[in-house]
This record gives sequence, structure tokens and C-alpha cells, in this order.
Amino acid sequence: MTDASMEHIEAHAAHDAHAAAKHEAQRIDNLKFGMWVFLASEVVLFTVLIATFLAWRVVNSELVHEVHEATGIWLVSLNTFLLLASSFAMVMGLREIQKGNRGGLMKWIGLTALLGAVFVGLQAVEYSILASHGVTIYSSEFGMRFYAPTAMHGAHVIVGVIWALYIVNKTRRGSYSSQNYIGIEIFGLYWHFVDVVWIILFTVIYLL
Amino acid sequence: MATVTAPLPGVQSHEENKLRISDYLKWSVDHKIIGVQYMVTSLIFFVIGGALVMLVRWELLTPALDLVQDGTQFNQLFTMHATVMIFLWIIPMFAGFGNYLIPLMLGAKDMAFPWLNALAFWMIPPAGILMLLGYFAGQAEAGWTSYPPLSTLFSPGDGQTMWAIAIHVLGLSSILGALNFIVTIRNMRAEGMGYFQMPLFVWGILATSLIIVMATPFLAGGLTLLILDRVAGTAFFNPAQGGDVLLWQNVFWFYSHPAVYIMVMPGFGILSEVLSAHSRKSIFGYRAIALSSLAIALLGFTVWAHHMFTSLMPSLRIPFMLTSMIIAVPTGIKIFSWIGTIWGGKIRLTSAMLFGLGFLSMFVIGGISGVMVAAVPFDLHVHDTYFVVSHFHFVLYGGSVLAIYAGVYHWYPKITGYMMDERLGKIHFWITYIAFFFTFFPMHMLGMLGMPRRVAVYAPEFQSLNAIVSISAFVLGLSTFIFLYNLVYSLYKKRIAGPNPWRVLTLEWATDSPPPAHNFHGDPVFFKNPYGFGTEAAYRYLEEQEKELGPSYPYTMEPEKRSVVTAPASTGD
Ligand SMILES: [Cu+2]
Repeated sequence: MTDASMEHIEAHAAHDAHAAAKHEAQRIDNLKFGMWVFLASEVVLFTVLIATFLAWRVVNSELVHEVHEATGIWLVSLNTFLLLASSFAMVMGLREIQKGNRGGLMKWIGLTALLGAVFVGLQAVEYSILASHGVTIYSSEFGMRFYAPTAMHGAHVIVGVIWALYIVNKTRRGSYSSQNYIGIEIFGLYWHFVDVVWIILFTVIYLL
Repeated sequence: MATVTAPLPGVQSHEENKLRISDYLKWSVDHKIIGVQYMVTSLIFFVIGGALVMLVRWELLTPALDLVQDGTQFNQLFTMHATVMIFLWIIPMFAGFGNYLIPLMLGAKDMAFPWLNALAFWMIPPAGILMLLGYFAGQAEAGWTSYPPLSTLFSPGDGQTMWAIAIHVLGLSSILGALNFIVTIRNMRAEGMGYFQMPLFVWGILATSLIIVMATPFLAGGLTLLILDRVAGTAFFNPAQGGDVLLWQNVFWFYSHPAVYIMVMPGFGILSEVLSAHSRKSIFGYRAIALSSLAIALLGFTVWAHHMFTSLMPSLRIPFMLTSMIIAVPTGIKIFSWIGTIWGGKIRLTSAMLFGLGFLSMFVIGGISGVMVAAVPFDLHVHDTYFVVSHFHFVLYGGSVLAIYAGVYHWYPKITGYMMDERLGKIHFWITYIAFFFTFFPMHMLGMLGMPRRVAVYAPEFQSLNAIVSISAFVLGLSTFIFLYNLVYSLYKKRIAGPNPWRVLTLEWATDSPPPAHNFHGDPVFFKNPYGFGTEAAYRYLEEQEKELGPSYPYTMEPEKRSVVTAPASTGD
């Protein structure tokens, strides 16, 4: 083989590598930007539900205080802390895989899923306490406006937990590396979003 | 121009690109197949929605109750007509155009998320079927606006719940589709193509998608509460138990006014392409058209309460009247740009162009009656009358549907590889155009005279006008079959279109008809000004294109002339 044809082949390979890198960069950008657009529409969905609560809350503040006195704020504060901790675990997982440590990723994302699941469980406990005080979804003005947004958020947490478990399973089979962690980043965007929505719900429903 | 792997022989219909019908019946991630799936599905629902309204018009031939047994049945008919036409015909039909054309126009191989694209499509048929199956469970009867308490306390049938769930699914499908368009347009443009070098159809889809992503979740939120009211026994919309009926109206119109633009902006895009191509003239005010789409998308969120002049606090009427009138400005800019585009052009009255001009004329009437109903004093008089019915049919039929027709006649050659029959197309146009006018124009008068909408029984003095409307509507309904027949007939007639029968400069024409699996041979090179007709550069671009891809209609019909390569007169300018 002549030098010239070798050069030709190398140039070709370089071109292919360049094209592949460009393709990969575009794929990553597509996924990130697509997730942002999706979350923008999720913001609107939650806005409707939160606004429904707020519009009623402004004129019915005593009723809300009664409900809160009956149930207390400790349980939900603990829950908020757990969800914040799960976001921290998520970030740690991403950091581990950026260093190429799959074991670390599995540990931290597993913890994220666990904390999310506990959150949902404690929410169920809170629901049953409220129900025992007579606050159900169809029994009171407060009830329907409380359960609709929190349950919608809870459904998002459940989706997130399933997603996290899926990531753990994929990691166990050898996916993700220090070069390829876009899947974790996308999940991270979603999980932080779910977290932020909860902070807003917590503020609007329990603290105001 | 594009690097082509092998020179293509003269006359070729690219049989290897042809797909079998079975390819369209299964899951595919190819945007071209998905585009056709959207279009054919929507056409089926168009026929269903049309049949429903034929029954409505049949009932309204006489003032008395004759065809339907009671008012409920009549309510079910017009409810399903509106819902099918809006959510299963116009919106998915435009999504079909977008899916087929956007990657081609941008020089991309496919959409950004092909799998998500297929998922968005496959949500539509089950949702549509679920909605229609409501017939067996007490069909939805609260109008497409579904105002509570009509849609909650006074709609006992489970069909109403199925309706709400179906709309929810269709909304999610359209959000996923729009997300895909936005990412595709931002990230997948051909190397070096700036936003202001995109064809205007792409701008139309971009503005539409932005509205869908920001507005449809409002409907989703409202429907969630509505479904809870119906299924879980909540009382979000029941004032007797601490709810609020106006909440629905606000949330619904905050979605549904922007949704009017979802239903017409892709049509604006189609019109820009068609008018420019068939009058061989550059777009007049490209940036004005592109940016006014974004202005409409933004302003569209500030006008929703003009649907609630009769239920709103009176002090809020004037602000919403003002915003509603302001939004006519960017629309007017477009109208003048289009007139400027065809002004002095070499207009070729093809079927596509006829429908484009039909759109332009009828949409102007719809726009003017829109400004009329935006005026509070006038609206209080015609609220919930046939004037409103007339107004939105001028916009949605005279606008959106005529634009869809124009688009089909324009892009059918690209999608199938064959020309559509022009004679049938022109017959279709003239019957549709005239029947359309006599169906909807007399409704203005009916409304001013005070005939309320959504009634099966009306005062005898309205009968003569209603008879004109009904008979014209039947003709309009029948004229659709000329179109449907033409779609099939042209497939069998096999008049080969070739890559670029209209000699257009946008990228979807710079490849075979129908395009190969990944759209282009090599990397496509786009023409810097997609509407630069008549320039020397455009002439050379088209000549080069013909050398690489082979001849187009009408030259494909006379192969013997191809031995002499001369500059065809109709190329370029
Ligand atoms: Cu409106």
C-alpha cells in the first residue's frame, strides 16, 4: 500500500470520527434541550393546579389554618428534607459516573430511588391522617384543592423512582461511563424539577 | 450543489423508494411514513366529522325537530363534529405536514426524536376511537367547549368522561410532537442555515409548536380537574360545594384561544410557500411574516377573556377588547405581505394556487368578522349566535381547510411521486369555494337576526336562510369526494412528477420524489434565499439540480425531448 493511499484512508477515518463526534454532540444537545422544553410544559400543568389552590386559599385562610393545626407540620417537613436529600444523592451519582465509577453511580442513584419511595410512602401516611380528620378529596373544599396538586406531584415522584431503578439496572449491565452519562443528566433534570415543584407546593400549601 | 453518488438516468419514477400500504400500517420511525400516517388518519376523521355535520344541517333544514329525536341527540352531533374536526382533523393534519416536510426543508435525515415521533402519532388512533366509542356509553353532549356544569352535573353519560380522557391523550400527543418540532428546528438545520433562511412553513410550525407546548398543558390541567369532578366526586366546578365555574372558562380559553392559532399558523406557512412558488415571486417581507408569527404566538395568550364578555366582570371587558384588536395587527401584516408577494407575479392558476388565493380571500372575511366580535358592544349582541359560528368557520374552513387543500395539491407530487389531476383539482376548487361561501356567509345574517347557535328547533322566520345554508353545506360535503377521488385516481394515473415539478428552491424539492430512506443523496446544499425566484443564481441552481436528479414534470411525460438538454423556459424565474 502506498503512502498516499494510507493517508487517504486515515483522512477518511478522521472524517468519520469527526462526523460521529458531531452526531453524538447533537444527540446530547437534542436530549437536553428536549427535556427543558418538556419541563416548561410541565411547569404550566402544575401552574393550573397550584393556581386553583391559591385562588381559593386567599379567601379561606382560617379554614386552612384549622386543617394544619389538626395535622401538624412535622411529617411533611421530614418528607421535604428526604426529597431534598434525594436530589443531593442524584448529584453525587452523576459526579461518580463522571469519574467513571459505575459502582458509585449505582449506590447513589439507588439511594435516590429509595428516598423517593419513602417520600411517597410518607405522603400516603399523611393522606390517611388527613382522611381520619375528615379531609378527603370529595369531602371538603380544602381536600380537593389539596389532593389534586399533591397527588399529581406524587405521580411524578413515582415515575422518577421507576426511572431511577431503570438506570440502576442499566448500570448493572454495564451501561454509562465517564464518556457517556447523558442519560443520568436527563434524569437529573427531571428529578430536580420534581424537587422544585415540591418546594413550591410545600411553601404554598403549608407555609403561607 | 449536492454531492450525488451516481448520476441518475433521465426518466425515473424511483420505484425503489415506493412503499407498500402495509408499511403505513405498522410502527415506523421514519418521519415521512409518520407524516403520511398522520395525514391519512386525519382524512378519515375529516370524513367522519363531515358526515356528522351533514346530519346537523339535515336537522336544520326545517324549524321543527325531525331527524333527531330530542335536543340531547342534536347536542351530541355538534359536539362530536367540532371535537373531531379540531382535535382529529385540523391539528393532526398540520402535524402530518410538519412531520413530512420539516426535516426535508431543513436538510435533515429525520426528526430529532424519531421514536418519540412515532409514539406521538400512535396515541391518536386509540384516542379517536375511544372518543367515538362514547356513542355506546352516552355520547359527550356539552359542546367542544365543555363548560361545567353542563359537562359535569348535566352530562350523565360516561361518553363525556371518555371524551375528556381522549382529549387529554390527544393533548399529550400534540405536546410531544411539538417538542420534537422545536428541538428539530433548533438543532437539525443544514450546515450554515440560519433561522432567517428557513422556509416560512418552518417558521409557522415553530410558532405553532411554541404555542402547543405552553398552552396545551393548561387544557391538560383543566381536564384533570374536570375528570376528577366526574369520576372522583370533587366539586372544582360546582359552586354549590365551594367550586367555581368560571375557573373552567378561564383555563379552557387560556388554552383555546391560542389553539385557534395552533389551527391556522401552519396554514399561514403553507400559504407563504404556495403563493410564492406559483407566482414565481420572492416573498414580500420575509422577516415580517416570520416575526409576526412569533408576535401572534405571544399576543395569543393575552386575549382569552374575549370569549367571556358575557360572563366576565364588566371592568375587564375593555382591556381584553383592546388586546383582541391589537392581535389583528400582526395578522394584517401577513395579509399585506402575501398580497405584496403575488402582486405583479407570473401567477399560474394551479389547483394549489387557487386554494391559496381562496384562503386569502376567505380568511380576510373571517379576520374582519373577528375584529367585529372583539368589539364588546357588538359581541354582546351576537354572543352565542350564528354570527360566531360563521366567524370561526371562515377562519377554520376558509382558512385552515383551504390551506390544507393547497398544501396537498402542492406537495402530493413530492409525497407520492405523481402529479395530481389538475382538472379535477380545479373542479374541486370552484365547487368548494362557492358552496363554502353560501354555507357560511348567510350565517352572519342569521346571527345578526338573533338565531342562537346549538339549537335543533328555531323560529320559522329563519327557515329560508337555513335552507340555503343546508343545501350549500350538502354540496360542500359532496365536493370533498372529488378531492378524495383525485387522491386515489392520481395514484393510478401515474403522471410522474420528478423531483421538482413546480421548480421551487426550498430543500424538500432537492431530492427524489418520493425521497429515499434518509431523504437526500449526500449532504444537501441549500439555496441561500429560498424564495429568490427570477435571479440568475436561482436559474443555475435549478439547472444544476435537474442535471443531478433528472427531469421533472412536464418533461417527464415526453422522454424523447430529453436527449437535447436545453434550458427549459419554465425553469428559474
Ligand atoms: Cu379567541
